[in-house]
Amino acid sequence: MKFILTSALFAALSFCAVLFFNGCTPADTETSSEDYPSKTITLICPWAAGGGTDRLSRYMADQLQRELGKPCVVVNRTGGSGVVGHSAGALAKPDGHTITMITSELNSMHWMGITDLTYENFDPLLQLNADAAAIIVRSDSEWNSVSDFLDAARTNPGKLTMSGTATGGVWDLARAGFQLATDIPVNAVRWIPAKGAAPSIVELLGGHIDAVCCSVPEAISQIEAGQLKALCVMSENRLKDYPDIPTVKEDGIDWIGVGWRGLGMPQKTPQAILDKVVAACSKIVRSPEYESFMKKNGFAIKIREGMEFGTFLKEQDDQWKIVVKAAGYAK
Amino acid sequence: MISDLLQIHVLIPWLLGMVFGVFVGATPGLTATMAVALIVPVSFYMPDPNTGLAMIIGVSFTAIFAGDIPATYLRIPGTPASAAATLDGHQLAKQGKGGYSLLMDLFCSCIGGLVGVALLMMIAPQLARFALRFSSYEYFWLAIFGLSMSAVVSTGNTRRGLLAAAFGMILATVGLDVVSGAQRFTFGNLELMSGLGFIPVMIGLFGVSEVIRSTMAGFQHNGENLDHNKKENSPLAAVLAIWKNKLTVAKSSIAGTLIGALPGAGADIAAWAAYGIEQRSSKKGQKFGTGEEAGVIAPTSANNAAVSGAWIPALVFGIPGDAVTAIVLGAMMMYEIKPGPLIFEQNPEQVGSIFLIALLTQLLLLPCGYLGLKTFGWLLKLPRSIIMVAVLVFSVIGSYSLRNSIFDVYVMAVFGIVGYFLEAKRVPLAPLILGLILGPMVEENFRTGLIKSEGSLLTFLTRPLCALLLVLLVLAFLSPKLLKLLKGDTNNHDRITS
Repeated sequence: MKFILTSALFAALSFCAVLFFNGCTPADTETSSEDYPSKTITLICPWAAGGGTDRLSRYMADQLQRELGKPCVVVNRTGGSGVVGHSAGALAKPDGHTITMITSELNSMHWMGITDLTYENFDPLLQLNADAAAIIVRSDSEWNSVSDFLDAARTNPGKLTMSGTATGGVWDLARAGFQLATDIPVNAVRWIPAKGAAPSIVELLGGHIDAVCCSVPEAISQIEAGQLKALCVMSENRLKDYPDIPTVKEDGIDWIGVGWRGLGMPQKTPQAILDKVVAACSKIVRSPEYESFMKKNGFAIKIREGMEFGTFLKEQDDQWKIVVKAAGYAK
Repeated sequence: MISDLLQIHVLIPWLLGMVFGVFVGATPGLTATMAVALIVPVSFYMPDPNTGLAMIIGVSFTAIFAGDIPATYLRIPGTPASAAATLDGHQLAKQGKGGYSLLMDLFCSCIGGLVGVALLMMIAPQLARFALRFSSYEYFWLAIFGLSMSAVVSTGNTRRGLLAAAFGMILATVGLDVVSGAQRFTFGNLELMSGLGFIPVMIGLFGVSEVIRSTMAGFQHNGENLDHNKKENSPLAAVLAIWKNKLTVAKSSIAGTLIGALPGAGADIAAWAAYGIEQRSSKKGQKFGTGEEAGVIAPTSANNAAVSGAWIPALVFGIPGDAVTAIVLGAMMMYEIKPGPLIFEQNPEQVGSIFLIALLTQLLLLPCGYLGLKTFGWLLKLPRSIIMVAVLVFSVIGSYSLRNSIFDVYVMAVFGIVGYFLEAKRVPLAPLILGLILGPMVEENFRTGLIKSEGSLLTFLTRPLCALLLVLLVLAFLSPKLLKLLKGDTNNHDRITS
């Protein structure tokens, strides 16, 4: 008898729990652009609370709330190298009440066979930033330019070690593409997988690896302190905040490797709603507050709106397809 | 400078933050990382950076201590770093000395934290440079060390302990492999790609299984009083016990700070390493797990010291040592404080106030923690059936809120049942959790180490620090036998001379 009672208690409790959490997504209502937004907007961040992408998500959510007049909450759906959050965002109801903070992984992970999800599952809103990859070494290193580094990689194939992200992460692909552009086989430099730029910088400082590929702001405190130096950045032009670092283009290497962040909505979201949100975002990213927020966080601003962002996503997707294949990461 | 901090507008948010940290840390299912992540957005509304930092630092220390409260009273660890308190701490509570155990715990947390901050203030740059010598090879051995400690300390049950640790390591292989990016045991399931989170598993194994057990027993221990031993539960008795074990406190605090200072290791390994070292080197080693004071003191001194230790790489390199410091560093950027090699030269006042905040936090921990353990002890006088419902509710919330995923709630429920049966077969649960936490650390460091050494296993043995860790590991396994051998010798000797 007691057992039956207690099992009933269990069942009732679990039922309540399920009800409670399912209840978090309120009943659907038809929305047109005039009464949009009609309820709380969810901004899905595929990366963990406390990280850089999360801070940007929270800032945008706060600003969108002011612009659109309805609460906007950030939900961190982490895991699977970003697959979980991106999928949750792409599969949400296309009524404009779910926005996703999409990141560069969207352009590479489907080529690696981790997911079927591509950039086409999203209607692009706008790009918020772009951080160019840089090659960073210890300041006591004998390499002083990108050609020194390339010579070393050419003459000692398989000897140099680099790190910066997990295998197949954005910085790994950036350096792989860079090597392809300079006719150095991808496996001529051994990539040491790491949990992110920070732990690889520790490894570099400790002399356990030869170089790190990551964005300049991620290593700026060590560069400013004279412990590390950046050999090159893989951007179109020199970075506004760090004009001393040459681009790889100046050495005649035709390669651009950037990590980016942007906002997207599930595909088939009504055009009127897209326009309304793009207009709101466009106003936010042109404010001086946005500029100072990005500066504090060390993110480089790069804005592309609507279709322009869509074209960029297409170009990026084509670029990473080649790199992923050549690096041997393709499924 | 101290007068700037002891202002009403700083102290009130600071203390409120710490009380919040006690509440979150002491609630089974809600972790220290979550407490810090929740307080950071609030701290941005504070008028000056020091108030915000005081709140955040306060929360991080109190939450780690408070995790020991449910571990002691209910055998449900509040945070992964408190899993060691489910051993001796809980045994003491069963003897009616829960308050005594937690008072020792509170004082040692404070002392451990103070030792950690003192080392941080005096030799942070040197410690940071030492930490740089650790690479994949050393972290591999360190993880193996933590893992074996959790298994060998499972009182008189080493075989089952090792089995549980191995099971945990197998569970840890689920998800995306960081080295190659391949999927393992995901069965095409999106949620499984990120692996089995150790938080839902831990909540399930300890919390939900306890709920099932109590329910099956028909809530027999109604209104159980875990503090009934009034005489023993005085602060004075706790202070005396700590004085008796002062060497343990010192040893564990220093070991905790050192482990915390490594960017790749945190409070959870620190607690187990300290417990293991103490158990293996103590004369009363066999009594560990039955309610030994030293078994409470060692892990709790170490885990709070490790929280201070984690600040060393954070301040010196601007690189986080664990999830909590990662969030704190993000918050500091928002305050335009740039931790890193230059902060000591360019902004010594800021470093000074961070040190001061960390020191004062240890002292404020005493009243806040005392309030927490009294409140919790009082709540426990409620009927068992009500407590278990609350545990279940918070377990569900804690598992869900981690990644906002209902899948994690199912994981928690499944591991509740698994935990119930494992416990019935006397398989210790703590090594399983450690296997899940440290399994990836062992595997990743082993494999990245092999990539770095171009496939040579020899490098894992020949590096000086590796060799040292290996010797420690062998000593830890053999020490009880060695001690016995030495003792046997002296006995024979005595016989001969007499």
